[in-house]
Amino acid sequence: MHADGAAAASGRQPVRATLALLAVVLSALVGGNAFGLRERAFGSESPQAHPVAVSRAAGGAAAATRTLLKSQPWWQAVGTYDGAASTTTGAFSVDGAAINWRVRWTCQQGHLEVLVPGKRVVSAACPGTGTAYASRSGRQQLAVTASGSWHLQVDQQIDVPLVEKPLPGMSAATEIAHGALYRIDQTGSGQVLIYRLPDGRFALRLEDFFVTANSDLDVQLTRLPRPRSTEQIKPAPRVHVGPLDITAGSLNMILPAGVDPATYRSVVIWCDRLASAYAGAALTQG
Amino acid sequence: MTTGLLDAPAHLPQITIGARTIPVQLPNPRDPRLKLSAVVVTIHVLGQTLLDWKVSIAQIAVSMVFCAAVECGLSFRSSGVLAWPASGLLTGSSIALILRASGTRHGDWWSLHGIEFFLLAGAVSLLSKHLLRPGGRHRFNPSNIGIVWCLLVVGPNHVFAQYLWWGPSRIGVSLAYVVICVGALWVLRAVRMVSMAAAFLLPFAAVIGAYALLGSSFVAIWHVGPVSGLEYWADIALSPEVLVFVFFMISDPQTAPKTARGRVAYGAATALIAAALIPFQATEFGIKVALLASLTVACALVPLLDRTVVRPGLQRARLHVRPVVLAMAVIAVAAPLDTALLAHNAQIVLIEKGQSGARTAQ
Repeated sequence: MHADGAAAASGRQPVRATLALLAVVLSALVGGNAFGLRERAFGSESPQAHPVAVSRAAGGAAAATRTLLKSQPWWQAVGTYDGAASTTTGAFSVDGAAINWRVRWTCQQGHLEVLVPGKRVVSAACPGTGTAYASRSGRQQLAVTASGSWHLQVDQQIDVPLVEKPLPGMSAATEIAHGALYRIDQTGSGQVLIYRLPDGRFALRLEDFFVTANSDLDVQLTRLPRPRSTEQIKPAPRVHVGPLDITAGSLNMILPAGVDPATYRSVVIWCDRLASAYAGAALTQG
Repeated sequence: MTTGLLDAPAHLPQITIGARTIPVQLPNPRDPRLKLSAVVVTIHVLGQTLLDWKVSIAQIAVSMVFCAAVECGLSFRSSGVLAWPASGLLTGSSIALILRASGTRHGDWWSLHGIEFFLLAGAVSLLSKHLLRPGGRHRFNPSNIGIVWCLLVVGPNHVFAQYLWWGPSRIGVSLAYVVICVGALWVLRAVRMVSMAAAFLLPFAAVIGAYALLGSSFVAIWHVGPVSGLEYWADIALSPEVLVFVFFMISDPQTAPKTARGRVAYGAATALIAAALIPFQATEFGIKVALLASLTVACALVPLLDRTVVRPGLQRARLHVRPVVLAMAVIAVAAPLDTALLAHNAQIVLIEKGQSGARTAQ
């Protein structure tokens, strides 16, 4: 059957074969991502590394560290502005990679109106409080029209990892426990370090860590030696250390007063909304 | 996978549509492709029920129907016979057996997420079969070249091959091994490919064992930390995915040498090509592409194997440099070269670590 068909089509074979050759050559070039062809056709698979954030407030020292990792989007403080009359705030800069930015406002009396260039984002009776959002990046100024005192807090939403410096007093000499993050229900990697600070408080540091991004994650201590599953962790007594609003980088957290880390044997990254243990770390004392 | 056509019977039944009488070729119960189809469908059932595979029933069905329809149309156009598209169905189900669209979750039974990639792989498979025919026969295993093309050209952001590790279900994996091994005996004996399979598995297992001893490792989204040592050897050499590849893909009699000696050489050559491509790869994605690309290269080398191993004494025919021969040469060079380039792709490492992309662990 095929031999007959091949014979019948023999006249067209050179043309078909030439087209096939061209398709094969093109496929070879795209498959090797020559000239970035695969990325152009099917999207970037190796994005440019971007600088990490170094502080929860914008405008910190420029970071030499660059990364491909992304965090759960988080809000970085850009600036605060106060006044008691109409004015134009000082200029501030919204990062070009910011997802969007917001103005959290409060006012005491009269009426408050806030404009960004070309857009009125707040128009409200006072006293009052609220949040307005904008998306244009770059240099910005807020034009405020008010007849009483007001307060504005500007934040930008970004998704780069935050790499905080260790707190003063965090050193090998003050380290009292450590462990490595491992996957439970989701990806988890990096180091967990616990320190006794000179002022007597305990602090936990997540070093070079990554946890699958989600909102509503928090860091907890448990007495389980090496928890392996959500089912194992769910009924176990746990103590809340702090929210994990940033899911990549290096972060510091102060343990709540009265919590003695020596009585706990593991750390869990817990998602309360899903009742799921994302990652865990068995703690080794000393 | 194995997609050879049997000779058409002398007297075919006919159907009449309007004024036109069309001969119809129905499925042949002795066709070994029916055995292979039965095995593949059984594995698909296990994948959907016990193995939590990230492929939907809709993806499988559309892939099969598309390939069957294209095969049927091309076959009718060339021969005037309305033939049961056994090869097309098998190509479609084989693509769905191995190819995965990133972001598809197990249990989304009717999801058509990423269906375009299955269709692209199917189209490339069948076009290669009908366009690249030096000497009047196709040289590349259709589903293999379609999957390799999709993995290399579309890339790791959107597609991947079924994991080497088939999941935590001991019952499911044990049943899969039983189906694969029993199915292998059933199918390979019928097409006289048992020695070819052994010629692949023995050197492949030995070389992968040597790599494990030398400290090779790879990262995979289903594993915490790098896979190394005994795990490296077992997860590659004993993977059910590798057994499926050897027993049901390499064993296509249409694209393999015709003699027993040639088939042994072909199995060993495929193993050695795979073993040569694998050590560059630090990710499971790269290892799977290396494995699959080894067959693409081996298929392109079958005419040379036929000349040098099977009939070394025969007078060499003059090599005619025609477009189709050039196309085969380009494929034979580009498949391993593009596979080797995956070793330098940092994004694949992030994907395999679960730190980027839409894939999730088993």
